[in-house]
Amino acid sequence: MRLLFLLLLMGLAIFFQVTLLNFFPVFGVKPDLVLMIVVFNSFLKGSREGALTGLLGGIFIDLATGSYIGMNALALMIVGYLVGFTESKIYKDSAIIIVFLVWMASFLDQLITYILLYFMNVQISPGVALLRVMLPTATYTAALVPFFYHRFYSSNQDGFLRGKNI
Amino acid sequence: MLALMNYTESGRVRVSPMESVLRDILAPVQGLTMSLGHRLRGLVSFPFTLYNAAEENQLMKKKVDDLEKTVRQNNEISSENERLKKLLDFKTTVAPAVGFEVAGAAVIGRDPGNWFGIITINKGTSQGLRPNMTVINEQGLVGRITSVSGNTSEVLLITDPRSGVSALIQETRAPGMVEGVASFPGQVRMVHIPVETETSKEQVVVTSGFGSMYPKGIPIGWVQDSGREPSGLFNSAMIVPFVDFNRIEEVLVVTGSAAAQAGPDIARLPHPWGEGILNAGEETGLVVQ
Repeated sequence: MRLLFLLLLMGLAIFFQVTLLNFFPVFGVKPDLVLMIVVFNSFLKGSREGALTGLLGGIFIDLATGSYIGMNALALMIVGYLVGFTESKIYKDSAIIIVFLVWMASFLDQLITYILLYFMNVQISPGVALLRVMLPTATYTAALVPFFYHRFYSSNQDGFLRGKNI
Repeated sequence: MLALMNYTESGRVRVSPMESVLRDILAPVQGLTMSLGHRLRGLVSFPFTLYNAAEENQLMKKKVDDLEKTVRQNNEISSENERLKKLLDFKTTVAPAVGFEVAGAAVIGRDPGNWFGIITINKGTSQGLRPNMTVINEQGLVGRITSVSGNTSEVLLITDPRSGVSALIQETRAPGMVEGVASFPGQVRMVHIPVETETSKEQVVVTSGFGSMYPKGIPIGWVQDSGREPSGLFNSAMIVPFVDFNRIEEVLVVTGSAAAQAGPDIARLPHPWGEGILNAGEETGLVVQ
């Protein structure tokens, strides 16, 4: 059941990324809501579940993009796995910490994607990638964390997302 | 008594002295009492008025909400009408003039990430669309179709880093290749411009059609900045596209070409199409007969 809700949540996030969020770009980019969900879940449930939700969320994005299937899955799986290491080490009630964590995770996700794109022969100058994609995306995504984290956290404690790890 | 009744019958002009004195004495008191009565009535009816006002306020608020909603809907419809009118104008004036057969489509989605410039439109093979068809709007070149399903198509925007459009600078006829800069919607880059040609700000860039799947003469954008490529062998230029990729909601797919018709005076075609065709001359193949 918990997995089903997570999948629904990520499906909804992709739907918004494909449609509505395009009307609210900041510095030409839109936020990465799927990454946000993956980071929240990894932070609360650990590496194993983080890697799994990252993989599933990434596959969703890859299917929506329609090209380089597996690229986002790989990037988000690595990010989910790494963020999971913070599970038992950081105080979970603080939105500030999670803002910083999402920023770092988003930047890492974009960096991995950039490297994978390079190997796929899609060459983008590092300056453009850093200033026009990586930094704005990480900042925009992190800025939205306070609006969503506490809802996700309380749902994880006693809402739809409560229950055993997947 | 009868005499008194007769004396005071209606229609008499003068009042008796006694009546006059009585009226004059009572007039201020009457006035004061009436004024007091008005105030008292206001005081007594105040709670009822308040109740009515609250009810009226609710009604008015609802009316204002309804009206605001209607205004928003009207604004949306008006904006859509304006966009569709521009596309229709283009379809009926510019497209026949340059010999394009076009089909309209609405944008229904975009790439979920920030690296690529891809849009999804609501027409596919059922409507006769095929991969590599050119996609334009009334402002200029949008991109090309990369994949199609029954009722949708994916369009690779010219801002995508994987996109390459063979182009030329309209004024100098200098060739080059226009490529995307990440998915950043406000800029593309033109590379491999021969160093012998002078590239200056605000020169218009159009498709060249050389070995390309894009027809000749479609406006792409204007030169914002130029310089020498790191290799030193060519120049490159940053181009601001004519198309506003952030606000693109409807597009036209070039489904075929027909002989250019004798349409309106070419100089009267809207910017940048008119000038593009006018200056591109016979080389573009888009000259009005």
